[in-house]
Amino acid sequence: MSNAVLDAIRKRRVVREMTDEPVTQAQLEQILEAGRWAPTGGNMRQNRFVVVQDEKIKGLIYQVAPGMFQRPPVIILICTDLGVARAHQISDDSLTFPMDVGKAAQNMALAAHSLGLATGPVTSFSQSAVSRILNLPESFVPHMFICLGHAAEVSQFNVRPWQRITWRDLTYYDRFPSDSGGG
Amino acid sequence: MSEETSNGIISEDQAVELLALFVSSAQLLMHEPAHYGPLRLLTATERLSAMMLEKATEETRPFLELAIERIPQMHVQMSDVPAYKAGLEELNAAIGDCLVRRAGLEEGASQ
Repeated sequence: MSNAVLDAIRKRRVVREMTDEPVTQAQLEQILEAGRWAPTGGNMRQNRFVVVQDEKIKGLIYQVAPGMFQRPPVIILICTDLGVARAHQISDDSLTFPMDVGKAAQNMALAAHSLGLATGPVTSFSQSAVSRILNLPESFVPHMFICLGHAAEVSQFNVRPWQRITWRDLTYYDRFPSDSGGG
Repeated sequence: MSEETSNGIISEDQAVELLALFVSSAQLLMHEPAHYGPLRLLTATERLSAMMLEKATEETRPFLELAIERIPQMHVQMSDVPAYKAGLEELNAAIGDCLVRRAGLEEGASQ
């Protein structure tokens, strides 16, 4: 039996080459809403999304983001608002924040895939330079860009599969045996 | 060495783009995997090659064209060590040929 969610999870790919074809406002808002529905630790809702569509600003971001190979029509920056976290007495370096960013990013990637769009996450960028370029509030920590657009038909970034793995290769049950090196 | 070529090869905007790539890469490499270092150098090589292509001399152009074509493939070949190594050898042979051509020693260059 087909299951749309499981199909989307299996078929979504990171896309590193995109066309100039625009993303509609309706599509963008659906993707942002998918990000909004991602769970956050303690339901703090400290994720913030900054949508960048201005060509000049995208060009500046590209220059300080060595990991960005795409030239997408839309870039979504996922930030943590530390102001919200501090109000909950959560320390600025809590591991909750990058995990919550990851959950929102995955929701957005799956939503985009379901709409026939492509995404590519980028974390290799200078946070300090991006904060200046976007004039981010002091409490915003930029964590991840989601490049959003339409996949180019022919990509030179088709990474060959390293090695086929299944969930069985990644999964253990219950307690490790005594000779496994555990403590 | 031939007389220095001064043909305004890249603009200040392009130079600043490269500076941004260098300093952002330096910051990122404080915590990124070590093998990302050569990757960033190759990215800089590819971007500088694209910037130079329009005004480059015939002696330099073959290397630039190779870098623009070859480096994007190498970004995804880092897990395939022999292919990545072959790419580096190809690029380095090409820059060697480029240097020889520019020095007017063509007979020493492999074609």
